Amino acid sequence: MTPRDKTRFCAHGFRTNSHATTGRSDMAACVKGLDKFTFSLRLIRNLQLQNERYLSTSLCRSAPESNADPPRFIPPSKPVIIDKTQPEASKRKFLSPEFIPPRQRTDPVKFSMERKDMIRRRKVLDIPEFYVGSILAVTMADPNASGKVNRFVGICIQRGGKGLGATFVLRNIINNQGVEICYEVYSPRIQKIEVLKLEKRLDDNLMYLRDALPEYSTVDPDMKPVNYSHTGEVPVNKIKVRMRPKPWSKRWERPNFDIQGIRFDLCLTPEQMAHAQKWAKPWEEYDMLKEYDTSQLEKEIFLEVQQEMNK
Amino acid sequence: MAAWSCRFLLQRGTRLISLRAAAESPVQLVGCVRTVKTTTWFDEHLTEDNQKYMRKSLAEEYRRQTAEKLNPLKDEPWQRHEWTEGSRRVGLVAVKLGMAPIWTTTGERHVVTMLQVQDCHVIKYLPKEEYDGCTAALIVGGKNVSPFYRSESELEMFRNAGVPPKQKVTTFKVSDNALIKPGTPLYAAHFRPGQYVDVTAKSIGKGFQGVMKRWGFKGQPATHGQTKTHRRPGASGPGGDPAKVFKGKKMPGKMGNTYITAHGLKIWRVNTKHNVLYVHGSVPGHRNCLLKVRDTALPTRSSTLLNPPFPTYFSEEEADLDEDLYDDNLFFHTEPSLTLT
Repeated sequence: MTPRDKTRFCAHGFRTNSHATTGRSDMAACVKGLDKFTFSLRLIRNLQLQNERYLSTSLCRSAPESNADPPRFIPPSKPVIIDKTQPEASKRKFLSPEFIPPRQRTDPVKFSMERKDMIRRRKVLDIPEFYVGSILAVTMADPNASGKVNRFVGICIQRGGKGLGATFVLRNIINNQGVEICYEVYSPRIQKIEVLKLEKRLDDNLMYLRDALPEYSTVDPDMKPVNYSHTGEVPVNKIKVRMRPKPWSKRWERPNFDIQGIRFDLCLTPEQMAHAQKWAKPWEEYDMLKEYDTSQLEKEIFLEVQQEMNK
Repeated sequence: MAAWSCRFLLQRGTRLISLRAAAESPVQLVGCVRTVKTTTWFDEHLTEDNQKYMRKSLAEEYRRQTAEKLNPLKDEPWQRHEWTEGSRRVGLVAVKLGMAPIWTTTGERHVVTMLQVQDCHVIKYLPKEEYDGCTAALIVGGKNVSPFYRSESELEMFRNAGVPPKQKVTTFKVSDNALIKPGTPLYAAHFRPGQYVDVTAKSIGKGFQGVMKRWGFKGQPATHGQTKTHRRPGASGPGGDPAKVFKGKKMPGKMGNTYITAHGLKIWRVNTKHNVLYVHGSVPGHRNCLLKVRDTALPTRSSTLLNPPFPTYFSEEEADLDEDLYDDNLFFHTEPSLTLT
């Protein structure tokens, strides 16, 4: 992500440097009088080892000093600042889904211009990688909040919209009341997006949490961020939720939702499950007109975004 | 193509006739072959090489014509005048790209429609006498098309102006001091952020619709003893005295596919590189339709038009124009996040 995240202090620079200069001049003398005075090889090796142990950056500077010039002042190498408290830039290849244009007959110029604006915004605001099912905290400027700033923690239950109009919905239960907030990703009022827990769920849309038991959408508002690996696959939380009794907001058992994350065996009879299959459309899988292969497009856009972000 | 298929049908027909000639009379079969008035594709009688050559030379010709017109001020422009209050400028022909959100510096969200100005040229000047006797007019065209499917009489106007044929041609009434020489290219920078425009386009066709959708009638209740009466117009006029239905009565019929003007839309942003206008709100027409954009006729909005590029924007005159022109209240995405006070 951004280089400013790296703030670890390499403090051993100066001290080791002084050690190294003395050690090296010793060594130079030793090498000159090697034929006259037989020093024990072990001592030299010790010194060498010492050198190696203390400073690895001195290798390139050893050449001028061996010519017996007066030792010049060598400024200590600039400290590299790496902050381990901040999350490191992700090594995973990730393209936010709103970059992929929808399948329609629109001039590609429109999408490329929107993409430019999105990248401009992303250079100012760090929009992290997250998925439906991740737990996020969003800080947003709110004219009606006390302190004019509102921070909301919740589980992301839906990502929607393409281009600049991309949104995501956070859900939490506060004072036994379900709260959902739909945030616009590129809104200038958003000040910070933190990922508290990065994970995926079995489904790409968790709107069924509205009809699930409240414990599944409850997140502690003071939650501490959970460390996650920046490489490899994103962990998938294979939890299956228990639902409240019917009626639900939607008939989640119907095949068009194709939901894996609900314990249907607890709330529906096998007859009901079989009845829901009446609405299955198994032929749509073979409908070539509905196919939209974005892999090539994704690759191109990913490269473009990466180049622009690194500029 | 069509001609070939017709010929094929004829051959097949004769062959069938000859086969069946012994069995039954051929007259019926000949009768069912329709004579189709065919048109030909331009490349129908050309070899593949020739088709390729035609396409290539056409593209080159278009490029040459466009490049010739890039510097209209060097090329004997017509007399230019100063901007005065009440002058009427020419408008543009633009393509609707789609909609996008924008945010203001106070954090409000608006939607805008992106309109792209593609190959827009002035094509003809109609003096007062030729047009309507009151004002002069300029014919403007936008978006290049192939000349092969146009008749010669259609192409004559474009040939006189020395520009490629256009998909959409419209007329703009202009005041006498805002005349532009035919062949001058028009750009999106003709309009500036903060000013208001009127956009005219053909609305999306809805087909034959009932009164509830077409005119917003209330219809009738779903229950409470209604029989076959839910979306009907009800009575259509007074009874015995006029004893007629007045003309213009709102009735079911074809809806949409008519020219509609959206008045007083603010311009939020202008991209001069891709010639894109960001116009407030929605405009009539479907995606990729061609529309007519001009300075607003609303008297309350005319004060926003202060010293616009007159008679139009010439690229060689204002070469140092930024790539993006923004309205003052628009949030740029390069700025830090908003903090509301």
